Amino acid sequence: MSVLVLALCIEAKDTGEILDHRSDLITIDTLESFGDLERPEVIFLHDLHTEALEKSNKDCRTCHLSEKSSKDRLSLKFKRLEDTDKKQVMDVYHAECMGCHREMSASGQTSGPIEVCGECHKENTRLISARLPMAFDKSLHFRHTEANKDEKTNKGNCALCHHEYDKTAKKLFYAKDKEGSCRYCHMKETQDNRMSIRLASHSGCIDCHKKAVAEKKKTGPINCAGCHDAKMQQEIEKIAEVPRLERKQPDVVLIQANNQKTKKDDRMSGMNPVPFDHKAHEGYNDTCRVCHHASLDSCSKKCHTPTGSKEGNYVNFESAMHQKGNKKSCLGCHEINKNQPNCAACHSLNAGNPMIETSCKICHMKPLLKNSPATPMDEKLMAEMLLKSRKVASSTYKDEDIPDKVIIKELAEEYEPVELPHGKIINTLLNNIKNNTLAGYFHAEKGTVCRSCHHNSPLDPKPPRCGSCHGKPFDQGNIFRPGIKGAYHQQCNRCHQELNIEKPTSTGCTDCHKTKKK
Amino acid sequence: MSEKAAEASKSFFTPFNVVAGLIVIIGLIITVLRFTGGLASVTNLSDYNPWGIWIGFDLLVGVALAAGGFVTSAAVYLFGMKKYHSAVRPAILTGFLGYALVVLALNYDVGRPWRLPYPFLVQQGTTSVLFEVAACVGLYLTVLFVEFSPAALEWLGLRKARRMVVKLTLLLTIFGVVLSTLHQSSLGALFLIAPSKLHPLWYSPYLPVYFFITSIIAGLSMVIFESTLSYRYLSHKMDEAHLKEKNDVTLGFGKAASYVLAGYFAIKVIGISTGNHWHLLGTSYGLWFLLELFGFVALPCFLYAVGVRDKNLKLIKWTSVLAILGIILNRFNVCLIAFNWHLPSSERYFPHWMEIGISIFIVTLGVVFFKFIATRMPILYEHPEYSDTH
Amino acid sequence: MPISRRKFLGWMGAAAGLSTAFGSPVHAAANKHFTGYPDSLGILFDSMLCIGCRKCEAGCNKVNELPPPDQPFDDLTVLSKKRRTDTKTFTVVNRYDHPQGTPPPLFRKIQCNHCLEPACASACFVKAFTKTKQGSVVYDASVCVGCRYCMIACPFEIPTYEYDKALAPRIRKCTMCHPRVIEGKLPGCVEICPNEALSFGKRKDLIKIARERIRKYPDRYEDHIYGEHEMGGTSWLYLSGVPFKALEMREDLGVTPAPELTAGALSVVPMVAGLWPVLLTGLYAVSKRKEKIAKLEQQQAVASTLKKANAEAEAKLSNALANARKEKDAAIKREIKKALEEAKQTQETEGS
Repeated sequence: MSVLVLALCIEAKDTGEILDHRSDLITIDTLESFGDLERPEVIFLHDLHTEALEKSNKDCRTCHLSEKSSKDRLSLKFKRLEDTDKKQVMDVYHAECMGCHREMSASGQTSGPIEVCGECHKENTRLISARLPMAFDKSLHFRHTEANKDEKTNKGNCALCHHEYDKTAKKLFYAKDKEGSCRYCHMKETQDNRMSIRLASHSGCIDCHKKAVAEKKKTGPINCAGCHDAKMQQEIEKIAEVPRLERKQPDVVLIQANNQKTKKDDRMSGMNPVPFDHKAHEGYNDTCRVCHHASLDSCSKKCHTPTGSKEGNYVNFESAMHQKGNKKSCLGCHEINKNQPNCAACHSLNAGNPMIETSCKICHMKPLLKNSPATPMDEKLMAEMLLKSRKVASSTYKDEDIPDKVIIKELAEEYEPVELPHGKIINTLLNNIKNNTLAGYFHAEKGTVCRSCHHNSPLDPKPPRCGSCHGKPFDQGNIFRPGIKGAYHQQCNRCHQELNIEKPTSTGCTDCHKTKKK
Repeated sequence: MSEKAAEASKSFFTPFNVVAGLIVIIGLIITVLRFTGGLASVTNLSDYNPWGIWIGFDLLVGVALAAGGFVTSAAVYLFGMKKYHSAVRPAILTGFLGYALVVLALNYDVGRPWRLPYPFLVQQGTTSVLFEVAACVGLYLTVLFVEFSPAALEWLGLRKARRMVVKLTLLLTIFGVVLSTLHQSSLGALFLIAPSKLHPLWYSPYLPVYFFITSIIAGLSMVIFESTLSYRYLSHKMDEAHLKEKNDVTLGFGKAASYVLAGYFAIKVIGISTGNHWHLLGTSYGLWFLLELFGFVALPCFLYAVGVRDKNLKLIKWTSVLAILGIILNRFNVCLIAFNWHLPSSERYFPHWMEIGISIFIVTLGVVFFKFIATRMPILYEHPEYSDTH
Repeated sequence: MPISRRKFLGWMGAAAGLSTAFGSPVHAAANKHFTGYPDSLGILFDSMLCIGCRKCEAGCNKVNELPPPDQPFDDLTVLSKKRRTDTKTFTVVNRYDHPQGTPPPLFRKIQCNHCLEPACASACFVKAFTKTKQGSVVYDASVCVGCRYCMIACPFEIPTYEYDKALAPRIRKCTMCHPRVIEGKLPGCVEICPNEALSFGKRKDLIKIARERIRKYPDRYEDHIYGEHEMGGTSWLYLSGVPFKALEMREDLGVTPAPELTAGALSVVPMVAGLWPVLLTGLYAVSKRKEKIAKLEQQQAVASTLKKANAEAEAKLSNALANARKEKDAAIKREIKKALEEAKQTQETEGS
């Protein structure tokens, strides 16, 4: 009975908190492909082992065998080239792991478990994977191309990494001007003989880095933490101004939904076309994959057709361009941009996100036609011309029309009336966004910026007073509308919060209105 | 001082009287403090812990241990086990004193004790389990009083009254079993309303069943315990029938207790199964639960069985102590230990010494009154004038 | 020792009755689902609008004429500790760190939730709590006995007790300013809140407002209105931008209203009261009958034994009598023989 008690005590103790966050944590569950696991998966710390082996001057080949195809390439499997059957794979792991551990402990070094199953096959480990995915952005790409340039021609050696696969010849080959992201072919899971992105990136990157290390050149990491640890990722050098990646891409594009070009009339059907400044947008993102998430082709060519297709996962063209919350779509990325503090100051307010009809027209512009006969002109030219003609907000109403101070005396019972520095606020807000072209386009019409506070009313240099709509709170006829006190406080507080303003604070009542002297 | 007076004074200051007297005096002092300074001055009750040992021990344990009354009277009058007849009066007396003292204890705990009749006279909160507890306890106290009264009436020599009351025995016994079933189980049902506060190993929709069954165990064990103490200290008051039967009482009640403990063990395990709480047994509360289940349910069950088989009276008597401790532990667990188990230790409750003082005071009063009544009224013996009327 | 049939039947009956009754809650009483009195009022607390200024605490204190606090209401340093309601404070605001550790901190106002089916009202054995038509749960100190079962029952740990009062201790809790509300005024906390983090109105309208806020700002709010269904529904509703657990609000309370938890046990009471007397009387009758039969059998056994003994005695007697007569005859014969022989002898001695 006491043994039972003791055992339960120990078991109870084991379900403690997480001790260690590791970026090199690998879960060995290979046998799962052969059926249900009998014992828990083994948690393996890769960097721990490489560091220990380094001390004995042992390298990767201690555990990783060379691929049959090329001696330089190492198989990412442990001490084997393929998973044959359950018993063989298990024996490899057991014999090799425990054998090495025995050798090391025999020579007096601290080592891993030798005998007891449960020491590797732990039921409740206190380790958790802290591995961050590694992003290969344009800064890193630039550093790689520079490092591997052909010294004589000064041109990039793209064939080093970029390849395509010839199905008939069953060989990899380099296709010029067809280079794309690895992830366009290498998916999350291995498919037939196409490796997963994980295997491909480790096999491709680490082998090259190892070679460079052998040649004593400055290169990237070869251990797990170097790429996947949060702190180490921060230390990766980031080039500020990356020159444009040349891949014969257009500077401007005219995006339009051509609905199976009806030959009956050559008019373009659907919404007005959108002139798209491709060059500028390249500068706004770290990788091409933000928009070109599956291929560098045009969005609507094969995948996001107007009615949707299998290749595009049945996401139709309209959805692809406008889906909210998704950086891949135009509208989605613009919306996400509005969360920056300088934008959110206005756009996070109640009724601060009106989707009005005129918003569409800012992107969708009336197509230009050649004079005679009335035919559409060359797309690229039209795009360039439309882009140039797009209005950018330069200013709002004239300064004389904007009151500098506004006295709010509606609720002055406990406090004195508020002296709102109206002019100062507007100037600050406008200053914050003056360099933002996106804001500039959408604020082109005078008075648009005023609408964040003066909302739910027509555009006018003299907008209605807040009190004309906001009265007593909890009005049965307008349950969604706050009362005047709530309206003022919610509006002001929210903006101050977004801009992280230190004074006035939301709890500093007298910052805005002094207490009334009785 | 004259010899007689000296003798009289010497006989009053027995060790028992001195100790009991001290406890009573301290108890009375605390009583005054309680009613002048409020509950805060004598208890460690808080807003998180509104019920302390005055409910956990005085009420919950007290009512369970006073269950010997209905168990014994049911055994003798309903099941017809005449050989336990001598155990009825002491059990009824224990029961009556137990319930009376529970009501006394309630007067300490409740904020305005003079309003205790309100649920019956002013407004009936019939949705409340506590209302049902109060009603049944009140009625049962009356039943016990009437069941006890023949002994007092015999002492007072009121033959006619006594004859009338004795006629009611069967009715009172049935009524007593009904009321006992209801309020013993309802004391458990009180906690059904707080599933978020009671540890899942103790919270169960079967709480009322558990409390009822444990009350039977408590009653059976208390009769054995009380008879042991009575024989030790009051054997000079026991008549021949009593002395002859008492071993049978111990054996018979021990056997019954063993059976009921076995059944209780089974339904507790069933309770864990239906709630799928097996995995909780490995936690620290789980170990405590297993201690309660194995040390204070399975063990006394086994020991009772061995004692009965070997006719080992001493073992049965000690086992009754163990079983009673188990009941106390169970009630404490439900009300104090597993209750509010999720709160941080700074908010947990431990009784004030004055609360413990009052509880001891009340138990002492019970012992004193029992001694007083048993030495004067025909509890442990049959009144010679009425022996033919049984 | 084998258990007697009588005993077995008795226990089986008891066990069957108890287990079927206690095993699962009886639904007859709990079939009704109370969704609140029509047009009953409530309050929506939006933790995304709460700035932790504690003005609601001040307003409550003023309106209920509560004693002044130890630290003034504009002292925001008290927020570093987690507080609960007490006898002088019907509501408190607590500050919580954002679970991702990023400022700004979050706030929650704690007060009675005025449940649709309050646990306190169900638990009170003198009906000291009333769920009013306006939605507030009010307490009547004039009948309260002070048993504090309501404090055990409340899953939100709200009622507090005046333990320090000896003669007139009361339960204290938020009243939703019921006297003000029936006059058409706003509750004290709602009226004073500068940011309108508290919205007052019909409960069904508040749910619409909450749903609308979630719909409009799906990134800002958790898609759950706390109190819509918890414990059967409460009149005080909550919106949050983080999981409610991070505001130390229990997410494990379930949707069963508290009265339903004890309805099962209470429903058994009339069953026991009705059936037990029958079962126990039956037991008594069976045991009495067994006694009677035992007595009868004993009598019969005695009678037959007596009869047998009598018969034996009679037989013995007649035997003895027969023997005696035989002996008597034999003795007479002997005597005659003896007399004849004596006579013969005397004749012989006389003749010679």
